Amino acid sequence: MITVNIDALSISELRYIAKKEGIDDVKLMDREDLVETLKELYEEQMSTFGGEGASYSPSTQPRFMNTIVEHELLNSVGPLPGVEPLPDFYPETRIYLLLKDPYWAHAYWSICPTDLQRLEHKEVPFEFFLRVSILKENSQLVEVDSFDIDVSREDTSWNINLPERGCSYLVSLFYRDEKGNNGLLSQSEKVFTPRCYWMDHLDKLQKDRACFTLLTSSLVTKGGVMVENPLLKEVADKLDTWMDN
Amino acid sequence: MKRKNYIGLILNAHMPYVRHPEYPRFLEEDWLFEAISETYLPLLRMFRRLRGDGVKFRVTISLSPTLCTMLSDPILQGRFTNYLRLHQKLGEKELVRCAAEAPESLSLARMYLDEITQNLEDYFEIYQCNILEGFKDLEDSGHLDLITTAATHAYLPLFSQYPTAIEAQIELAIQTHINHFKRRPKGFWLPECGYFPGLEEYLQKEEIAYFQLAAQSLALAQEPAKYGNYAPISCPNGVHAFARDFNLTSLVWSNQEGYPADPNYREFYRDIGYDLPLDYIGPYIHEPEVRVFTGFKYHAITGKGDQKNIYRPELAARKVLEHTENFLYEVEKKGRKLAPLIDRDPFYTLAFDTELFGHWWFEGIAWLESLLRKADQGESVVFETPTDYLRRYPDNQELQPALSSWGEGGYSDVWASGSNVWIYRHLHKAIERMEELSVRFPNQSSLKQRFLNQAAREVLLAMSSDWPFIIHNGTFVTYAESRIKDHLGNFNVVYENMCKNAVNTEWLVKAEKRNIVFPDIDYNIFNPDSDRIRYNG
Repeated sequence: MITVNIDALSISELRYIAKKEGIDDVKLMDREDLVETLKELYEEQMSTFGGEGASYSPSTQPRFMNTIVEHELLNSVGPLPGVEPLPDFYPETRIYLLLKDPYWAHAYWSICPTDLQRLEHKEVPFEFFLRVSILKENSQLVEVDSFDIDVSREDTSWNINLPERGCSYLVSLFYRDEKGNNGLLSQSEKVFTPRCYWMDHLDKLQKDRACFTLLTSSLVTKGGVMVENPLLKEVADKLDTWMDN
Repeated sequence: MKRKNYIGLILNAHMPYVRHPEYPRFLEEDWLFEAISETYLPLLRMFRRLRGDGVKFRVTISLSPTLCTMLSDPILQGRFTNYLRLHQKLGEKELVRCAAEAPESLSLARMYLDEITQNLEDYFEIYQCNILEGFKDLEDSGHLDLITTAATHAYLPLFSQYPTAIEAQIELAIQTHINHFKRRPKGFWLPECGYFPGLEEYLQKEEIAYFQLAAQSLALAQEPAKYGNYAPISCPNGVHAFARDFNLTSLVWSNQEGYPADPNYREFYRDIGYDLPLDYIGPYIHEPEVRVFTGFKYHAITGKGDQKNIYRPELAARKVLEHTENFLYEVEKKGRKLAPLIDRDPFYTLAFDTELFGHWWFEGIAWLESLLRKADQGESVVFETPTDYLRRYPDNQELQPALSSWGEGGYSDVWASGSNVWIYRHLHKAIERMEELSVRFPNQSSLKQRFLNQAAREVLLAMSSDWPFIIHNGTFVTYAESRIKDHLGNFNVVYENMCKNAVNTEWLVKAEKRNIVFPDIDYNIFNPDSDRIRYNG
C-alpha cells in the first residue's frame, strides 16, 4: 500500500507503483488516469478514523519507510528450523478483555478441546454467548447491569461497544443449552473506562474564561482543530449545545 | 520581573531492531542508515556547532535501547559505512550526470555529496563509528539530557495486565542506558505517549523522576489541572508527568498546517531512486530492481501535482528564518495570554520523533538550530529540560493523568486495530509462558541460561510497538508480520524444549546469531518473585 500524497508523485513514480500493484496497461495511461486508478485502489485502505484531528496525530505520520510502495519480502528471512507456525488458539478455556478506548473493548477467547468435548458429550445442543458486566463503585465494585452477545462456535474474538464511561467492565464466556441451562466457562479481568472531570462540570468551563483558556489553548491547533479524542469531542459538543441554549 | 517561557524540547530517537547480516544488503536495515545519515549525524553536528559558538541550550533526547544496541553493533556499523560509501559513489556519478544533463540540479548534487563526505568524516574521525559517544559528550557538557524508553519500545497500555512484562521492559531499558552512558536516566519516554493510570508505579521503582504524556491526558483527568498543560503534575506517587502542547507542536508536526509543508521546502517523495532509469540507478537501489529512496532529491514541494520546481536552498533558508520568528512569536504570544492566568513561568512540552528533523523535514535541523540560537539571543524563551524545570518548581499539583496515547483517537486503537489485534492472543500467552519458565527454572547457568535468555529476547522483540504500527499503517506489513511470527515462534521453540527439560543447542546458536539484541539480558527479569537485579549508575 502507498501512504503518501499520490498527487505529489511524478509520472514515473506513479507508473512504477501502478505496475507493482498489478495494474494493466500502465504505459498507456496518462498521469490523471494513474492518479485516479491508484486513489480508487487505496480508497478502502485509507484512514478508518477520519476525525478532523486525526491527520495531526503522530501515528498518521510516516515512519520506517524507504520505498514508496510495499514490496513482498525481498530477502525471505524465513523462520529458524524447528519453528512451527503460531496456533490459531491455545488449548485452554479462557477469555481476555483488552480496552481499546473508552468506547470499545476487544475480547478474545479460546475453549479447551476437553471442555468442548465435555459439552458435546451431554448430547444437548448448546451455544455460546458473552455476558458483558457493567460494574460500579459503591463501597465495593458491584455489577449494576449486564448485556449478552451471542457468538458462534467459530468466533474467537469480538469488539464490544461499551455503553458508559466511568465504570468497569468484565466479560464472561458462557454456554447455554437447549434446556435453558447456562454455564460459566471463563471470566476476564476487569477493565476501567475513564470519564473526565469536565463531562460533569461544563458550567465551570462556560463561566470561567481562564479555566477554558487553560484547558483548550494547548489542545487546539492555530487553525482551530482540536486534538482528536472522542471524550474531548463529547465535552466540546456538550459545551456547544450548552452555549447555544 | 518579566515572565519567561520555558520550552522542553524532547526528541524520541528510536528504530526497531533490524539486523540481518545473513544478507549482503537488507532493505529494512536502511531505516537505520537513513536516520543516522539524515538525522542523527547532522543533529550532532548542529549541537556541536551551537556548543562551539557558546549558545546556551538544553534539550532532552530519548535514545531507545534497540537503537543504542544497533548503533553500537560492529556489524551494523560496518554496513552503515558501506551504505555511506555507496551513496558517495552515487553522488560522484550525479555530479557528472547533472553537469551534462541537468545543470539546474548540479549544485544540489554537490550539496548532498558534501553532506555524505562530512558524515563519513564525522563517523570515523569524531565518533570512531559509535555516535552514541557524540550524544554522551553533549550530555557531559550539559547541553543534552539523555533519557530512555521501553526496551523494545512496547506500547505499554496493552500490557497493563502483565506487570512482569512492563517491569522487564523498563528495567532492561535502564540497564541498557547505564551500560551505554554510565548514568541512570532521570526521565522515561513513554512509547507512543501510551499511558495508563498506575504506570508511574513501575517507573518509580526504577527511580525515574518524570515522563511525557499525550496532550489530552491532563484535560481528561478526573480533577482539573490547575495549570493546564503548562506545568507538570505530580502523580500520586510523586513521579512527574509533562503533557505535550498540541498547539505548538502542530506548528511543526502537521502535514496540514505545519512548517514542513511550505512550498519552498524540499519535497521528500521526489527522489532520483524513482525518477532515473534503472540502468543508471540500478547499482544504488535494492536488488532485484527495487526502487528505494536514495536521498538525492532535487525538487521543492511547490504544490500539489507533479510539476515541481527545482529546490532552492537559499529560498528554503529564508523560510527557515521566517518560521523561526513565527514560532518564537507564537510562544511569546501564548506566554502573554497565559501571564494573567497562572502564577508561574509556563513550561511548554514539545515532544517529537527525532527523525522528523532532517530525514522527513530536510530543513528541520536548520530550523532547530536557528530557533535555539534566536532563543539564546533573547530573554523570554528558554530551552531547558524537564529536570531543570522540576528543580525550579519542585512542588506541583498532585493529579492522576488519564489513559491516553498520541495515536489516532488518543487511545490504543492504532496498536489494537482490526488488522493487528490478533497479535495480543499470542503475545499475552508468550509473556505468561516466559514468566512460567522463569519461575520453574530460576537462576540457570550455561546452556539453559542462554536458552532462556534467548526466549526473553524473543518475547521482548515481539512486544515492540513498531510491528502493530506498521501493520496498521500498511507500509511494510509483510515484514512486520513475519517479525512478530518469527519472534513468537522462536519463543515457542524454547518453551517446548524447556518443558521437556531440553536445550536445542544447534538451534540456540542460530537464534542467538539472528537476534542478539541486549547481549547482557538476564531472563530472571520475567520472574515475578525473584529479587530485582539492580544496576547502579
